[in-house]
Amino acid sequence: MSIGGSDLDRAITQLRACRPIPENQVRELCHKARELLIEEGNVVGVDAPVTICGDIHGQFHDLMELFRVGGDVPDTNYLFMGDFVDRGFYSLESFLLLLCLKVRYPDRITLIRGNHESRQITTVYGFYDECLRKYGSANVWRHCCEVFDYLALGALVTGAATTLEPSEGPIAENINIDNLPDSDAEIEIETLNANGEIMYRYARNSDSQSTSAASQANSNPASSSPIAPTPSRTGAAGTGATSSANGSNKNDTGAILCVHGGLSPLIDSIDKIRLLDRKQEVPHEGAMCDLLWSDPDEIEGWGLSPRGAGFLFGADIVKCFNHKNDLSLIARAHQLVMEGFKEMFDSTIVTVWSAPNYCYRCGNVAAILELGEDGSNAGFVRRSNGERGGGGGGWVLGSNVGPEGNPTAENRRLSSVLGDSMQRARDGPGRRYRVFEAAPQDSRGMPAKKPAADYFL
Amino acid sequence: MSSLNGAPVDTHAPGHADSTHITREGFQITTRKLPILKAGPIEDMTKKLGIAPPEMIFGDNFARIEHAPSGWRVDFNAFDALDRVDKTGDSMLKVSYSKEWQQNRQKQFEDIKEVVKPFDWSYSTDYKGTTVDSPAFEPTRTPIPLELLKRPDPIQFFDDVMLYEDELADNGIAMLSCKLRVMPARLLLLSRFFLRLDDVLIRIRDTRVYVEFATGEVIREYTAREEKYEVVRKKLAGSREDTLALMRDPNRLAEHIPVVEKSLEKVVLK
Repeated sequence: MSIGGSDLDRAITQLRACRPIPENQVRELCHKARELLIEEGNVVGVDAPVTICGDIHGQFHDLMELFRVGGDVPDTNYLFMGDFVDRGFYSLESFLLLLCLKVRYPDRITLIRGNHESRQITTVYGFYDECLRKYGSANVWRHCCEVFDYLALGALVTGAATTLEPSEGPIAENINIDNLPDSDAEIEIETLNANGEIMYRYARNSDSQSTSAASQANSNPASSSPIAPTPSRTGAAGTGATSSANGSNKNDTGAILCVHGGLSPLIDSIDKIRLLDRKQEVPHEGAMCDLLWSDPDEIEGWGLSPRGAGFLFGADIVKCFNHKNDLSLIARAHQLVMEGFKEMFDSTIVTVWSAPNYCYRCGNVAAILELGEDGSNAGFVRRSNGERGGGGGGWVLGSNVGPEGNPTAENRRLSSVLGDSMQRARDGPGRRYRVFEAAPQDSRGMPAKKPAADYFL
Repeated sequence: MSSLNGAPVDTHAPGHADSTHITREGFQITTRKLPILKAGPIEDMTKKLGIAPPEMIFGDNFARIEHAPSGWRVDFNAFDALDRVDKTGDSMLKVSYSKEWQQNRQKQFEDIKEVVKPFDWSYSTDYKGTTVDSPAFEPTRTPIPLELLKRPDPIQFFDDVMLYEDELADNGIAMLSCKLRVMPARLLLLSRFFLRLDDVLIRIRDTRVYVEFATGEVIREYTAREEKYEVVRKKLAGSREDTLALMRDPNRLAEHIPVVEKSLEKVVLK
């Protein structure tokens, strides 16, 4: 049988109900997906607006919550940064649903590879066992692993707006409206809760920053910089907006590189990622491995992980890479962050984590990152009515000059490469984080987990 | 206080309750279970500990046994357990493919040599609980009376408290948790550190605290087990069960791993 058109829609309906589809349909789906993915480069080009998501880890009901909060496919354009499987109980349903959506709406959803999309890791961390349990054989696992080998290694988002159109949502409880920037301020960052209520808003232009960031920055009076929603320079949580790029064009933001783990000392340009042979199991070393495994850390330059394998990279590495490749931001996943997202290194890199209450016991919140479309009203009209947001602009960039032809391009070059100021070359994109909690327990059809008393010795 | 980026602070996960307790003959037993720490508290902890805490750090959780009449208590919490992790890197383990990785790397990147903040990233701890100076435990030969614990006495209070867990960047698992059961006449607490470093080694370090309510007798037993991964795998390969599944279950593994360290202490509370 073939899985196309109405069959595919039926499969989507079935998977949305968290019911696996028959093995022959999985085979067909995986075949179709491979045909599609083989056409994609190692670095997929994606136009804003787009909603960027981090690890899912088989938490199917939370993926449904993600779609509720972020809008459904195809109304919202999604980019998932890997780790769809393992750990959670529903890796199979989660991955197959994403794959169905990919085949059904190839231009509205982008999937890139995480370190868990690998044969070796899935045999240890749950996906293999789950397939065996649900189908009685490893065939489905094998089909999925073949798809893993074809997943892109990264994505490059272009056409993102530097400022957000402020959400019209109500202000969340306990948020002092006086601490929000003026209505005419250029919004760089906005954090919304799952109900679309505004929890935090940060203006870009420096004169309004003192007030705009007040609710957070006040907790950090020692800081002379308006960066400062985070209480210390290690910047463990949340936003680290910067006022550095003054004078640049309002709609002038570089591209955003999305990758599961991070950078590699073997990769100094995005073109080098494009040259890799990705159609293989994730190797234990080399550039492909690094892209899926490495982590940013508060160090200078490159470092070795104390575990004896894997790289860590510091702010200077990120800033250099972004500058060289005309990026304004790197978005990555891979590490659990309790607040759902964590910006580091003057907002040149952000970790996005989309698995709330990770492993059903961590109690963390999750986040998704929305980037607006340059030249339209940031593209984030709530889509509950099913209409595509983004105004009439659709996919065509508006009248703004694109990144390539921008006359101010020279101004964006740093006169001295990453001198003492270490400022970013570009204004970062306007970033809207939607933060959400785990789906209610009763929606997952399993009882709340209470430890069962046992006569342990 | 609102959290750093506006995320709700008190996101209690479903199934997580605040502290619960039970009192038996002067002994109060308390457990608390909350979500993992947020960024701010993690930073504080990192500074105080001097090492990066595990990925999943349940810093607000604890299990506690208190005896008010004597002022005695024992507490199991993540911070004190982590404070006993080697912070120098002297006892650092390496993941299984480290050698291969390093060899390939050294050719290409001779300049990248520095290991960032070395410490025992397996979070191995010999933590036996945090207790008071007086009344203090003394070495003993009295073992925990297993026969009394095997009786099916009704369990009046039970809890399983996670203190920390780390996925070792997908090289296995390190976890410290604390189980507790209270019966009418006695209680047993088991704090277990479990490390499975894939293709390298397995470590199980158990601290058991036994309390006999009527006599005020408290026995603490510490047992450390350790074996190479491959040795354990070979032992289990003969069984009919799924070897990989067995390798994930410390309860099943313990009997196959030799004891490398043991201590027994006692205190009688009046």
